[in-house]
Amino acid sequence: MNRRNSVLNSKFQTSNFKQISNSKIRNRKEIVSAAVLLLTFASFTLLKAQGIRISGANRAEYWVFVDENLDTLNYKEHFEDKLKLSFQYGDILLHGVFFLWEPSLPNTDRLKYFDYTAQYKKDPVNVLYGTYYTTFGRGLVLNAFLDEDFRNDNSLYGLKADIRYFNSQLTLLSGKPRNIFFEENTYFVKNDTTDQLRGVNIETKLIPRTKLAGRYVRVNRTEDMTPKAFTELFGGNIGVNIGPIESYFEYAQRLGTYPVIGGRLKGEALYFTTGLAIPGLGISFQFLDYDTIGLGGAGYRYNEPPTPIKSGISVNRGINEIGYGISLFYSPIDMATIEVENNKVTTHDTTLNYFGQIFEINDDMDGVLEQTIKIQTYPSYDLEIVGAVDRLVKQGIEAGIEKKTETKPNVEVTYNLGPFFIETGYEHNLISSDTSDYYEHAISFSLGKPERFVLSLRYERRNRIPGWLVSKYGEELSWPLAELSLDLTTRHNLRIRVGAEKGGLVCSGGVCRFEEPFKGVKMVLTSIF
Amino acid sequence: MKKIAFLLIVCIAFIFAEEIEGQYPNAPDFTLEDIDGNTVCLDLLLTDGPVFMSFWALWCTMCIKELDALKPYFDEFDSLGVNLLAISQDKARAVPKVKPFALSHKWRYIVVLDPDNIMRDLYHVQAMPTAFIIDQNKKIVFTHQGYKPGDEEIIVETMRALFAKGAEDEPQE
Repeated sequence: MNRRNSVLNSKFQTSNFKQISNSKIRNRKEIVSAAVLLLTFASFTLLKAQGIRISGANRAEYWVFVDENLDTLNYKEHFEDKLKLSFQYGDILLHGVFFLWEPSLPNTDRLKYFDYTAQYKKDPVNVLYGTYYTTFGRGLVLNAFLDEDFRNDNSLYGLKADIRYFNSQLTLLSGKPRNIFFEENTYFVKNDTTDQLRGVNIETKLIPRTKLAGRYVRVNRTEDMTPKAFTELFGGNIGVNIGPIESYFEYAQRLGTYPVIGGRLKGEALYFTTGLAIPGLGISFQFLDYDTIGLGGAGYRYNEPPTPIKSGISVNRGINEIGYGISLFYSPIDMATIEVENNKVTTHDTTLNYFGQIFEINDDMDGVLEQTIKIQTYPSYDLEIVGAVDRLVKQGIEAGIEKKTETKPNVEVTYNLGPFFIETGYEHNLISSDTSDYYEHAISFSLGKPERFVLSLRYERRNRIPGWLVSKYGEELSWPLAELSLDLTTRHNLRIRVGAEKGGLVCSGGVCRFEEPFKGVKMVLTSIF
Repeated sequence: MKKIAFLLIVCIAFIFAEEIEGQYPNAPDFTLEDIDGNTVCLDLLLTDGPVFMSFWALWCTMCIKELDALKPYFDEFDSLGVNLLAISQDKARAVPKVKPFALSHKWRYIVVLDPDNIMRDLYHVQAMPTAFIIDQNKKIVFTHQGYKPGDEEIIVETMRALFAKGAEDEPQE
């Protein structure tokens, strides 16, 4: 027994020693990291003196939040930092992005990367090597973009060259795509493939008021089981601008092979917009018809065909979509503006004629219909009143819900009291889904001082738990939230958010993700230097 | 580690900000297209006078409020030679709505399109809206993140102060 105790003690001491020793190593790493950071900043100060222009920005975020599914600790942490630095010397620009994300759970891999771009820019040439973003036309053929607010990084790594000559621009590029996407509180690298993109785009304005463009992109794969595999996209556009009327038409075609089985795959896309813009009145019309144009994998695209849906929802990101969007912006008098929108995207339904497919939505289609009317008035210089009604119909979009209709009237009043301003708002969201009818309403109040702070309070409530609700959406019925935004200086802002957030499906630019409900504290510090 | 890192970043940000306070950074060059298809170049704009620019997007309510709030001051600054730019950060899919929206709000700013967010990267914009004032020496003399009702007064005062200083610096005849 004594011997067993002694072995246990010895084991305990050994593990204790290991813990102490690990903690020492950790402390040492922290000191080294701190020293490296301080030295970096010191070197920047020295470089500034050498005539090299240095600029940058930093965004640091720290969250502590409750997770009731955990067995031991019932909270999680999230830390991320993105430091951007640019060095410019004459026509040469070096740009670097250091990113670090550390989740609290040891079994989740942290994400750390360093992106850089070296660029030489002197008219008429612009050449860069490194990580870059670019869109050909409106994105039917290629759309590599960064949506920082939505944490969707869709980049290319490689070489890009632009040459401007006589009202024309030629772009040549080669790059490896990468998509870093934040979903369910975790960063994922979505398209870790061996794909390599090569593309060319030529735009010209040789004809007055007319812009013509043509483009080609080829995807090369080193690992593909498909016999004689290839994928290429090509297309072109024409844009005409005559006085207040502007029109744009883009066509794209995709040619390739079906994955694994082989055989010819063909896709097509049409995109047309026209608009009228005169002082006080603006009208915009969009039309789209996409058939197998979306190129990428399950959760990513190399092209991202545009959706007219303002809330950012698409049906299947360019695989089978048809729809339109109409927006009207009108200011009849200086103190009022009216906005009306009616946008629709659905899958094709060949039982209907072509116009029926564009303008109708029936039970056999998956799709989104979005309607908005918004009136903004300024009865006096210090007072602003905004009233709106938003209606959103989603059919086959959310997992487990056949059809969901949301009708949300909302009102917001802002009053400027001189040194302070106050803002109050109320929204009432009537939701009707397959099995449940329920409502959510929210009241908000903000008090702020220009150039100093804004304190916002929001209380949101749902009248009952809907039938479709799955456990990951949580079973809360109310979400109180407080946020303080402090302007530390004109270049530094600190935001502290405490409380609960509802979560759910959020979308931007046709890309959607599930956002987990949140209960905890978020701190965000942004700096420009 | 997370808490230490966060605190360290807060401290470094302040130290670094302190270091550059009073030393205005140079404004990066840019050449973009406005909503009428004209080429807009920083160097050319600066020949008229200082440049004010605000980053905005159709989805950004506060950005639109800021640009609406600055409308009454347009004539004052336009007559002084200031070029006022509204730089749209809307992606390619929203570009068709930018011109109708801007004109319906009767904005007379030079509305510039930046669908690839090149300007956002060049000027390290972290929040929307962010406003900059660039003087004729091509220095960023004012940076302002976010918008709260009343912030436009600070922007206007900064511009007026810039002109008052410019007038004082001019040699007396």
